[in-house]
Amino acid sequence: MSRRLLWFLLLIIAAIALAVVLIPALVIQPFRPQSPRGLEISFALKRIAPALTIVTLIACLALIIKLWRGAHWSRIALILLLIPAMLSAWVARQNHFEWMFNPLAQAGYVTANAAAFVSDSDLVMAVARNGEAAAYPIRQLAYHHLVQDTVGGVPIVVTY
Amino acid sequence: MWETTIDGRTLHFHLAGINNQNFIMHDEETGSWWQQVSGQAILGPLKGRQLTRVPMDEISFALWKREQPRGRVLRPDPRVAKHYAHADWEAGIAKLPVATRISDRRLAFRELIAGITVNGRSKAYRMTDVQSQNPIIDTVGGVPIVIVANGQSVRAFSRMVDGKPIDLFAEPETTSFVDASTGSEWDFAGRAIRGALAGRQLQRIEVLRDYWFDWRAYHPDTSIYSAGLMRQRS
Repeated sequence: MSRRLLWFLLLIIAAIALAVVLIPALVIQPFRPQSPRGLEISFALKRIAPALTIVTLIACLALIIKLWRGAHWSRIALILLLIPAMLSAWVARQNHFEWMFNPLAQAGYVTANAAAFVSDSDLVMAVARNGEAAAYPIRQLAYHHLVQDTVGGVPIVVTY
Repeated sequence: MWETTIDGRTLHFHLAGINNQNFIMHDEETGSWWQQVSGQAILGPLKGRQLTRVPMDEISFALWKREQPRGRVLRPDPRVAKHYAHADWEAGIAKLPVATRISDRRLAFRELIAGITVNGRSKAYRMTDVQSQNPIIDTVGGVPIVIVANGQSVRAFSRMVDGKPIDLFAEPETTSFVDASTGSEWDFAGRAIRGALAGRQLQRIEVLRDYWFDWRAYHPDTSIYSAGLMRQRS
């Protein structure tokens, strides 16, 4: 294969690696409407991203090795093309929504009377099952968005 | 609020994104995506499946503490406590832009409503109506209902007692209600605490406090309560 073709291939593969992680991140933005089709594509890309970005990373590395014997400037270009391939393989393994809204490391509870951190007028989400009662202050839920718990022997997820 | 066990397997959920301002979660076990507001899997191996709703209440802490003095409260996570919403956070949210495919502007997108669904019929009540008319007497999905308010706390009940609907009125200077037929006194939990019907319990109907645009998105056939309509009819 000609060097020109190999360069072209490398560019295409690096672009695919970026697109796989960028498209879902751009579709699923707060304060932007999402279409069912957009969500479907994002879901499919997120599912294949961890494996696909490894394949694209290996392919990029192989092509870079093949193209390495070249001019000084071309080596710099090769390294620059490796960056998106590595970055996307890393991003594909992250959940950036959990960077924005950290999940609860370990949900802790106090008795109603000891809950000085909630004021009387604050709203709580409340559940009572099989004689056990629990309250989840909305101000905390509005950040975490979901809390998992077992109330009265029933595993639940509290969502807000 | 949802039960997390489906087909005998307990799922573990994470935040996965947002769909028209209602968040999506995914489960570790299958990777399916679930819509927070409906508890339904929208994509993935469990697509179409429905989590079981957990009956819940969105009420003030003071009221909850009075009713459940032995209950437990979720403690703040000290690592992120600085990110928690401020006391007046709803006022801030009201100013945020709305991203939605909904064009139904019968109410302002960010108008707070109390939504209920009975026998498949959904109805939205403006929070301002719920608070000013307390209680609201209405019929939804063929069931006579009552909506009661106590500050920001809202509850709904079926007002059928022994096969007959009762009419409830607010008792001045208290948080109680009185029914027209027997004069019995009912508390905010829907329990008759005094009078001929003492000890009876009205059946709860779940209330979702929501913004109009979000309620409308997931209850496309919803009607809206018109304040005073019941009074005109009778």
